[in-house]
Amino acid sequence: MPAVTAVLTLIIFAAGTVAGGLGALLGLGGGIFLVPFLNLGLNFPIAAAAAISLTTVIATSSSVSAARAGKQLINIRLGMVLEVATAAGSLLGGVTAQMLAQATVQKLFGAATAVVAVIMLGRLGRRNVILDPSVESGRLGGRYHEDESGGMVTYRARRLPVALVASFIAGNLSSLLGIGGGFIKVPVLNAWCGVPLRAAAATSAFMIGVTATAGAVIYYGHGQLNASFAAAAVLGVQLGSWGGMRFGARASAKWLKLLMATVLFVISVMMLARGAR
Amino acid sequence: MSEISDATRFVQPRGRGPEEADPQLERIVGTVLRVGVTASSVCLAVGLGLSIIDVTGPVASMLLQVGVLVLLATPIARVAASIVGYIAEGDWLFVTLTAIVLVELMASVVAALLFNRGL
Repeated sequence: MPAVTAVLTLIIFAAGTVAGGLGALLGLGGGIFLVPFLNLGLNFPIAAAAAISLTTVIATSSSVSAARAGKQLINIRLGMVLEVATAAGSLLGGVTAQMLAQATVQKLFGAATAVVAVIMLGRLGRRNVILDPSVESGRLGGRYHEDESGGMVTYRARRLPVALVASFIAGNLSSLLGIGGGFIKVPVLNAWCGVPLRAAAATSAFMIGVTATAGAVIYYGHGQLNASFAAAAVLGVQLGSWGGMRFGARASAKWLKLLMATVLFVISVMMLARGAR
Repeated sequence: MSEISDATRFVQPRGRGPEEADPQLERIVGTVLRVGVTASSVCLAVGLGLSIIDVTGPVASMLLQVGVLVLLATPIARVAASIVGYIAEGDWLFVTLTAIVLVELMASVVAALLFNRGL
């Protein structure tokens, strides 16, 4: 791991700000940008990069969800159910992270992001909104007020087993790669489980704090978490996500999906290239 | 988007929907997260500021460690608070599910301690 210097600390703070801003716009934790930057750009070992990134995921999840609490955009019940799977996946991922070759994980990461980007592009125009007012949202569904249209959006969560499997995989990759895992959960919840993008993103952002903690604690215990770099990254991401959230509230879901898919493709190519080297 | 505003006239059916069951829990969860992330951010900011001025200060490194630990403890505290909330609501299914999440988090703490001692 590079030595702690004031300059490197400031670079990581700046990178955190950019990652946090982009992450907030996409409903992700920001780790999906920070890990490639630390690992590919600054030559941090993937474990050290993942550990730093997971602390920023926890911070973003906590502050974003604290700000959203009470607005009913977060589906807390669905989140709690899926956390059973993400935490289990993350625990397993945190342990296997100490054993797997970096290149193997990078290739897996690249493949997974490419698949999700394709799914995202294929569903640009769809809205998972129940139009029949007599339909009940069910115990795991939800309703929230959408600022764009000025109306209430009602939805029903479907295919819970699919969501649970996706959450387990997301949790697993979360602690392996130091990301939130929202890049898997959000498209799956949106595309297959009937949860609107905004609610899926908010619920995922709520869950990833717990998911990331299960992984981060293991890296911390193993002495792979540098507190100075983590502090710089956390504070940068906090600043960036605060800015991103202010802008994100006005961005349309279609614009968000397009940007998200593009970003996923870029990260996929970068990770596949490094993993194949 | 006029078709969406049709859903405004949605009538709450029998049974407990997410909207009426959770506002109080949502507030408690929000408070736990806000307090945790604020406390850890203050520790990390002061610790980082001090360490940039005086790179080897013991106060700075202690504040950084406390900041990281409070950050890691925040989601765990959120899950614990949710269990209390669901007990108050008498929702035993969600008490059970949330307790499982807490057990999983504790298992990762145990794994961390094992790694810390070189397995």
